[in-house]
Amino acid sequence: MTQLVQAIVLGLLIGGVYALMASGLTLIFGVMRIINVAQGAFLILVAMITWWLWRVTGIDPILASVITTPLMFGFGWVAYRLLLSRIRGASPSMSVLLTFGFALVIEGVLNVTAGNKFKSATPSYFEESFRVGAISLPKAQVFGFVAAMVVLAALYYVLTRTWTGRAIRAATQNPSGAALVGVGAAGTAALAFAIGSATTGVGGSILSVLYPFFPASHYDWISRLLGIVVLGGMGSLPGALAGAGILGLAETLTATYGSLNWSTLVFYIVIMVVLLIRPQGLFGAKLREDTV
Amino acid sequence: MTRLKAIPRAHLIAGLCLVALLVYPVINPWQPYPQAVMLLAFLLAVQASSWNIISGYAGYISLGHSMFLGLGSYTVGIVAARWGVNPLWIAPLGGVTAVVVAVLIGSVVLRTRGHAFVIITIAMLLAAQILAVNFKSFTKGSDGITLDLPFWDRDFQNIPFYYAFLILMVLTVLFSAWIRRTKLGTGLVAIREDEGKAASIGVDTTRFKIVGYAASSFFIGVAGGVYAYYLTFINPVGSFAILGSVTIVLAALVGGRGTLYGPVIGAFIVQVVSEAATVYGGGGNARVLVFGLALMVVVLFLPKGILPTVQAWWRARHPEKVEYTDQAGALSRTRVAVRERTEPSPAPAQGEVLLDVRGVSKRFGGLTAVDNADLTVRQGTITALIGPNGSGKTTLFNLISGGMQADSGEIWFDGRRIDGLRPWTRGHLGLGRTFQVTRLFKEMTVQENVVAPLPDSRWRTMLSDAVHGHEAARARELLDTVGLGRFADQPAGALSYGQQKLVELAQVLMLEPKLILLDEPAGGVNPSLLGRLTEVIRELNRSGVTFLVVEHNIPLVLDLCDPVVVFSHGAPIAEGPPSRIRTDPVVLDAYLGDDWADHGEDGPGDNGHGTTAAAREAVQ
Repeated sequence: MTQLVQAIVLGLLIGGVYALMASGLTLIFGVMRIINVAQGAFLILVAMITWWLWRVTGIDPILASVITTPLMFGFGWVAYRLLLSRIRGASPSMSVLLTFGFALVIEGVLNVTAGNKFKSATPSYFEESFRVGAISLPKAQVFGFVAAMVVLAALYYVLTRTWTGRAIRAATQNPSGAALVGVGAAGTAALAFAIGSATTGVGGSILSVLYPFFPASHYDWISRLLGIVVLGGMGSLPGALAGAGILGLAETLTATYGSLNWSTLVFYIVIMVVLLIRPQGLFGAKLREDTV
Repeated sequence: MTRLKAIPRAHLIAGLCLVALLVYPVINPWQPYPQAVMLLAFLLAVQASSWNIISGYAGYISLGHSMFLGLGSYTVGIVAARWGVNPLWIAPLGGVTAVVVAVLIGSVVLRTRGHAFVIITIAMLLAAQILAVNFKSFTKGSDGITLDLPFWDRDFQNIPFYYAFLILMVLTVLFSAWIRRTKLGTGLVAIREDEGKAASIGVDTTRFKIVGYAASSFFIGVAGGVYAYYLTFINPVGSFAILGSVTIVLAALVGGRGTLYGPVIGAFIVQVVSEAATVYGGGGNARVLVFGLALMVVVLFLPKGILPTVQAWWRARHPEKVEYTDQAGALSRTRVAVRERTEPSPAPAQGEVLLDVRGVSKRFGGLTAVDNADLTVRQGTITALIGPNGSGKTTLFNLISGGMQADSGEIWFDGRRIDGLRPWTRGHLGLGRTFQVTRLFKEMTVQENVVAPLPDSRWRTMLSDAVHGHEAARARELLDTVGLGRFADQPAGALSYGQQKLVELAQVLMLEPKLILLDEPAGGVNPSLLGRLTEVIRELNRSGVTFLVVEHNIPLVLDLCDPVVVFSHGAPIAEGPPSRIRTDPVVLDAYLGDDWADHGEDGPGDNGHGTTAAAREAVQ
């Protein structure tokens, strides 16, 4: 029983972090219909920067997101202006290929500069745990979860309570309508891409503590995040949250009762089963199939 | 010599290249290194050409296509190691595994439109890798499987593989060319161009995509079996490498995706560059960087690829003569023949109900576009559906043709309830439609556009030749009927709006329809062609085709159609023969306006209904 509760709590903690990582991806897709395949590479890039900051200055890796978040915001803005804005209006597949190429470039650069070895940031609390009754909660997981929830709440606030957020949501739902009432699609898109990238600032910092990583880890992460987004319904923020929770749980439960080897596979099996039953994902709206 | 000239230039060049490649090892037999580079280029060409079927023709990008190479390798490797068979003889087994897996994945992911596919392809590649690591009893996990060395003399080492991969490459290109020539091929391109429209002309998009995906996997699987023998060693990381997928995508993209020879050209370029990057750039790290940069550069600056860019340049240098609509031909009295449906169901007698819409509603949020509407269309009529903009006419069309699902109500067609059926099934039953704003497949030729529709769901139809044979002949005939026969080989996007309307009508006729829904057929068609259009409609109607027409050109409607149904606020408010509709006070109030009652038979002058001189003539 304790084992089950332990697994569930851990699963939810992991799910929270996944949700944050996937939120940027789903936001970018929602606004621009762009699948940012480089999102995983952004995460690894941030993890690498965080690791380096932690090694050089001794700053707490999760706190380092105060630095990495604005950095990634700017990075995302520039990336959009320089790269993605050039293929606006091209078929969506071109953006997949472009961001895939971008991911490879980031991987290649990290390979050359940081080397091809596994790294992990290990702050002092790395191996400590909070104990609640019989359940032990690794401190790093808890801190990561709290940071993720704070950022998600802030994101939610920005999207629902500010003009900027409403502009982004308007552009999500009806780009031409939004343009009519003065919400420029290009500016909004750049902003959304920057915000989506900024979420990897926190996500990547958390990642550097919770998971060992090396440049090519981004494939693993992007397929996990894309899985979450597909499961939840592409473009839906609540969907990403639900998808992340479910997959976090599935993963820890398999790791607890099955074996660690199979837990990643369970991830993919869950996605296929959901797609079999609900092709549009849990929270995805069925697209209007005809628009003339 | 004249026969040689009849072969298209591209095929001729390809043939010459093939001869050179066949001869090369004979001329230069004892150089294993260049042979190895070449045979890897053949392997990449096999993969890129195969990828091109689902991602080039159908436009569904796969980023995990190297999975099929790994599946082929493992299938052949495992079987060869267990039963001591030579991998070369059982390589086709690898293709079978690839096809089975493609069908399984495809039937889950390809049922819907959109982006899930690309995502799942990456995920499945990684899942395959995990499976290969964990299924130790079969795959020996991360240790990998070692195969026997080739049975031939070491001196010949690469030559047999050189020819094996060369043959596979030729077969793949022939296979790809064959698919592109069939209606399967035109259907796949139609899906890329406009999936909703494709579904409306009888293309079973789900099945087409799954078949396309499976077809794109077979030769890669076979090649995987041969490749395992070439390497004599397979392991999970090497077999299911994502970088392998990158090279496939890059090769097809560089050469020109969607073209026949582009992926092959790209494969040779990418293989040579990759080899150079490994030799001069310091190994694998450099390759990732080079491939990433290359991918970005190609997407940003050469999105169509080398071959189409060169072709476009060539065409700009050698312009063809401009041709015009065959007005004389179009206006001549070529008889409009409707082909008998291959499986004639007992057609309802004249005057029986063909289409029956019962209490159908459709809401978009708070807006009720169609509100508990009833509509019957009787066999043999040309029924008009008129009403103000926004009264729900086009939405009703979408509900009938299956582009949208109704919230409530029933739709019956030819004695069958159809509101739960997919759009293509409705097409197969004999229900065709045109669109208010034409939706031709702009990158296909006019002829391909007309050949694309499928009147039934049989495999034989799907695999029938779309370039020669009776389907193509039929398309030509229909194009002549609408006066556009001369344009058969032009890209549809080059046509004027009015011409596109006519092509769309020809396209629908290819479905051998019993009922055609025409959404504003007269809009944008010039007066003389409009005359021809009404004539075509009348003739088709005489030969048994029923029409339901949405049109704002009231003189045309009153002249052509009987009965006329008037829609307002999502439901019919009046129905009857034109003479009665013209004077119906309810209709005058809701739509026509008082002018109509005053002007009587002649209709109004310039009252803003867009009446044209020809249309007025048509009334008189």
